[in-house]
Amino acid sequence: MSFIHPLALLGLAAAAIPALLHLLQRRIPPELDFPPVRYLSAAERESARRLRLRHLLLLILRTALIVAIVLAAARPLVRVKGAGGGAHEPTALVIILDNSPSSGAVVDGRLVLDRLRVAAHSSIARTTSADRVWLMLSDGVLRGGTRDALLATVDSTRSGWQRLDLVQAVERAARLVEAQPLPGREVHLLSDLQSTALAEGRAEVPQGVRVLAIAPGRAVANRGIAAVTVSEGAAVIALSGSAASGGDTPQPVPVTIRIGGGRRGEVGARGLATPEGGQAVTVSLPAQSLAPGWWVGEAQLEPDELRADDRRPFAWRVASPARVTATAGAGSFVAAALAVLQEGRRVATGRDVMISGGEPPTGARAIVQPPADPALVGQANRALASRGVQWGWGPAGTPGPIVTSELAVLNGVQVVRRYRLERAGSGESGAEGVLATVNGEPWLVRSGNVVLLGSRLDTAWTALPAAPGFVPFVDALVNRIVAGEAEVAAAEGAPRVVFRTRGADTIGATVFGPDAREADLTPATAALAIAALGGKEGTDVLTADQFAAERFSGTRRADVSGMLLVFALLLAAAELGVATRTR
Amino acid sequence: MPSAPQRLDLLDPADVARLGGIEIVAEGVVEGFLAGMHRSPFRGFSVEFTEHRAYQPGDELRYLDWRILGRSDRLFVKQFEEETNLRSMILVDASKSMAWHGAPERLTKRAYADRLAAALALILLRQRDATGLVTFDEQVRHVIPARVKAGQWTRIVRGLLDTPDGQGTAAHAALQRLTALLARRGMVVLLSDLLFDRDLALTALRYLRHRGHQVIVFHIMDPAEVELGGPPEVRFRDPESSVSVVVRPRELARAYADTVRREIAAWRKACRRHGIAYHHVQTDLPFGMALRLLT
Repeated sequence: MSFIHPLALLGLAAAAIPALLHLLQRRIPPELDFPPVRYLSAAERESARRLRLRHLLLLILRTALIVAIVLAAARPLVRVKGAGGGAHEPTALVIILDNSPSSGAVVDGRLVLDRLRVAAHSSIARTTSADRVWLMLSDGVLRGGTRDALLATVDSTRSGWQRLDLVQAVERAARLVEAQPLPGREVHLLSDLQSTALAEGRAEVPQGVRVLAIAPGRAVANRGIAAVTVSEGAAVIALSGSAASGGDTPQPVPVTIRIGGGRRGEVGARGLATPEGGQAVTVSLPAQSLAPGWWVGEAQLEPDELRADDRRPFAWRVASPARVTATAGAGSFVAAALAVLQEGRRVATGRDVMISGGEPPTGARAIVQPPADPALVGQANRALASRGVQWGWGPAGTPGPIVTSELAVLNGVQVVRRYRLERAGSGESGAEGVLATVNGEPWLVRSGNVVLLGSRLDTAWTALPAAPGFVPFVDALVNRIVAGEAEVAAAEGAPRVVFRTRGADTIGATVFGPDAREADLTPATAALAIAALGGKEGTDVLTADQFAAERFSGTRRADVSGMLLVFALLLAAAELGVATRTR
Repeated sequence: MPSAPQRLDLLDPADVARLGGIEIVAEGVVEGFLAGMHRSPFRGFSVEFTEHRAYQPGDELRYLDWRILGRSDRLFVKQFEEETNLRSMILVDASKSMAWHGAPERLTKRAYADRLAAALALILLRQRDATGLVTFDEQVRHVIPARVKAGQWTRIVRGLLDTPDGQGTAAHAALQRLTALLARRGMVVLLSDLLFDRDLALTALRYLRHRGHQVIVFHIMDPAEVELGGPPEVRFRDPESSVSVVVRPRELARAYADTVRREIAAWRKACRRHGIAYHHVQTDLPFGMALRLLT
């Protein structure tokens, strides 16, 4: 049992009042002459037992009356079972309302988010002023505030563009409520429980914290655009999604792309992704879009249950072919790659970009390999320093694979011989300008308009010249990297393209869109959800009705003050009856 | 508008007592009482039968001769002739318990008994009955033998006034002594609150009855002795024995009233069994009403 107003229990001291009055009344009474004392004595002898019982009964009734009134004032809460209303003990509660993009799916004619919002609204409405409540949306921010404020937040919540990792969210919420000094601790997870959101890790839920998740609806078929990449005059559209729970036969997916807009006008193209063609479709870009410059396009699918992933913008740059000259020291592999690129009109002959093999860099932009002869390293370093390059070659480094986030084609390519790239003068290898590393040490760096390699582009130094990505690597080096341009990046957010600039130059773009995993609407099984969200001890996946019945059930209490007041009234009536009837 | 003359025998005893001493009160009461009765109230115990006469409407039915009625189917009433040689003794309890009243505006039981005894004596002496007085508490305090001569009533009144309030009560001792004083058949009237041993007192009264005396008992009580009242809690002390008891009157009132009713009923039943007339009188009863109990 607990009390809403426990301080009122101090009034229980008043229960001693009847006994005290009884004792205080035992003062010396006044003495009066009364001749027929013999009659009194006889009457008292006959009534002694009745009077003692009456006194005892009155004492009990009056004490119980005070106790009942004081207890009623303290508003006692007793544990009750079953569904329905009733108060509950003060509870720390985090409501996780998953408004990730997948919550915008329409299932059985109703938005998933609407169903979740009703449950959130109901949970918040059931809280009392003694509870502490937070609301977490898919942005991961824990929002406190009054009940009305939280209700307003829930009412105004719309499907967002950020994915919510349910495992992390539940773990954070559980830690928060566990830290609260309240008797009840609950996390209400209101989500479509996508299996992809529960695939990684397992939430550590402290003991005493209840996690109640509302069971997801049925699986629905969905197809979304996971990513769009442009290369060689074609857009490669990667698809993702889920099949309906009934296992319908996959149907061909029509894809539409629109490119350009504004003063350039808009051009479009269509393609069809068939089930046999896998999860990607390639659509040739119109010839107009091969003109130099930054291009923006958007791929679209036919509308389905989830609209958020049915379109995705993309951006790419069509650059003028770089005019490149390779010195004799650059090596035969570089010359061969340039020949291929020249044939594909990706490069032209000229002196805008010089690729050398240890010779002093010349030209506006230079790509410099270490000299083949170690004795020439010092001379080459001095030449670099005289040009203002802050990097130089140091001692030989250990072999290892290339690791880079800038050039995907390089990742994992083995390097067997290399020089450690060091900042001139300091002997250190700072991270600024580092484009790729081997064993954690810089292997490819850019300083100004000069790009330095830790190894020569030769199979005696690295497997890269023999790798399929060598030509694209050389293409990126001469057309993009040496000019300081970045790759088109992808980020989570409302579909749009944001360009990065340096001065008047556009050096890159970020394409925003929903996480590709949001397209998979396959709900997790109850067993998977329970396992991922804390285990059977404290986690339940419940239907909406069960959820309504179970929330706060661990601390559900009924306010019995009304019953106590009725009991007090009965006691008062009994006291009145005994006091008057026995006179 | 002149006020109607009031009969003292029907007024509140305390109001009557404020008019003067015992003599004045008694004479006033007796005058009013006799005026209301029109004839001697004690016909039947101090008179003897003389003749019959025809019944007239208004005659009391108790004087009908039922044997004549049974034989001849005619209504006749008995005529009586007063005697003058009846000897009456009035016994007044002068114990300390009698000197108590439940409220200042009421007479004490003793004061009430004195005035009632004086009035009774005056009535008896006026019809030429020899009347005497015995006052007692734990012992006999005053004895005035029964006489009919002039000044007897004054002596009786003086005897009442000269008897102070006593301590305990020993009624049976006084009654036993009375048997020696009452050699001839006569009437004994006991005025007491009867707060003594009932069995002993009844033994003595029964003895008197056995000797042929007519015995009349006035059980005098203050109204406060019948209905218990007082502060929420009080220690009541017996003025005679100093025995005390702490009670809450409101709690005990009902049981006390039952006890008093049972006590009165017990006295009444015991007296009736032995041919003794018993009358319960409260001190707020007008003297005339008390005297009328004897008729």
